[in-house]
Amino acid sequence: MSFLLPKLTSKKEVDQAIKSTAEKVLVLRFGRDEDPVCLQLDDILSKTSSDLSKMAAIYLVDVDQTPVYTQYFDISYIPSTIFFFNGQHMKVDYGSPDHTKFVGSFKTKQDFLDLIEVIYRGAMRGKLIVQSPIDPKNIPKYDLLYQDI
Amino acid sequence: MAPAQRCPLCRQTFFCGRGHVYSRKHQRQLKEALERLLPQVEAARKAIRAAQVERYVPEHERCCWCVCCGCEVREHLSHGNLTVLYGGLLEHLASPEHKKATNKFWWENKAEVQMKEKFLVTPQDYVRFKKSMVKGLDSYEEKEDEVIKEMAAQIREVEQSRQEVVRSVLEPQAVPDPEEGSSAPRSWKGMNSQVASSSQQPSNLDLPAAPELDWMEIGPSLTFIGHQDIPGVGNIHSGATPPWMIQDEYIGGNQEIGPSYEEFLKEKEKQKLKKLPPDRVGANFDHSSRTSAGWLPSFGRVWNNGRRWQSRHQFKTEAAAMKQSHTEKS
Repeated sequence: MSFLLPKLTSKKEVDQAIKSTAEKVLVLRFGRDEDPVCLQLDDILSKTSSDLSKMAAIYLVDVDQTPVYTQYFDISYIPSTIFFFNGQHMKVDYGSPDHTKFVGSFKTKQDFLDLIEVIYRGAMRGKLIVQSPIDPKNIPKYDLLYQDI
Repeated sequence: MAPAQRCPLCRQTFFCGRGHVYSRKHQRQLKEALERLLPQVEAARKAIRAAQVERYVPEHERCCWCVCCGCEVREHLSHGNLTVLYGGLLEHLASPEHKKATNKFWWENKAEVQMKEKFLVTPQDYVRFKKSMVKGLDSYEEKEDEVIKEMAAQIREVEQSRQEVVRSVLEPQAVPDPEEGSSAPRSWKGMNSQVASSSQQPSNLDLPAAPELDWMEIGPSLTFIGHQDIPGVGNIHSGATPPWMIQDEYIGGNQEIGPSYEEFLKEKEKQKLKKLPPDRVGANFDHSSRTSAGWLPSFGRVWNNGRRWQSRHQFKTEAAAMKQSHTEKS
């Protein structure tokens, strides 16, 4: 499944992707290809990528290969999905402690589709933070650790 | 319910039978219609005493609508290129059919009886009008004659002065004194506008010589850059091809005019972009800018205090601090 989606292996490539995606939501999945939850997420991403081709561009990033971004985006749990639009980071309120990224996998394909649509619409209206349409029951729970602890 | 009847004044169908005429709306319509007609009639009445005759102008074709008869009436009478103001209207108002129609109109619409008299013109008035019309015609003719005489006098004057000038220029033509040479053409130029319309037979004979001298002596001096007369190459007067139409030596590839296919596609993309909402996120983001290796995207971090755009700065300072502590440790 992960071989169906394009991969980014260096900071330069990630920069390139962020800068070049125009008028579409950029979805960056940070994780490792072998991790089971990542595999689930990758499955959903690849199955929906063709439907979302006009609204979103999806890429997979390995956390070990881009340590700068792992630190900058503060990725402590994998998989973490981060959304950009026109080079600007989009925050989403899922009801979880961290609004900057989506931690874990989606329960259904429809959840992911809804989320992408909401982000796209919000971006078109000029909103930098949007409300997630996903049912809070389906959001994976995690504890947010402060970095120095 | 009475049968449906149409009231032409209100331009409506009503079912009230004879009661409609007494209604407020109908009376209002009636008042307005008469108010519209009244000024014309008054003006016509004034014209009975002093008929005015004027030159014909297309505006005199205007027609007036007579409410009582329900027909259009030519306001002014015109014949040839003369018009008698309000002639047509008066004629109509004096006619017996109009009288009958007015009576009928007043009775049916229940208008005020006193007003009726104002809209009628008696035959005696009409006869008076005819007399004053004849007088008006006579005075108009007189006026026209006067104007023509004036114009003739003017033309005669102009002709006289022209002859004088011609004579005065012909005499000193043998000795062209600069002052005299300049004064005569100057006054000649002044007369030129009046003389231009009439034929020029005797004046063209010897005059070109005198003005030419004038132009060569008076006036600011200009820089002379040389005769632009190359024998081989043609110029605009000889009808040669203009320089911008001459094909360049190097043609190069294809000579297509206009944008290439890629440019056309780019234009299409730009058109699509214009349709997007202008206040979307990152609308002014420059996608093709070259950034350094240390560029970080705009990211609102998790553990930061302050605005979103400060998080990048904070990250850099933290990274520098961490690096320092690392090198200290090692």
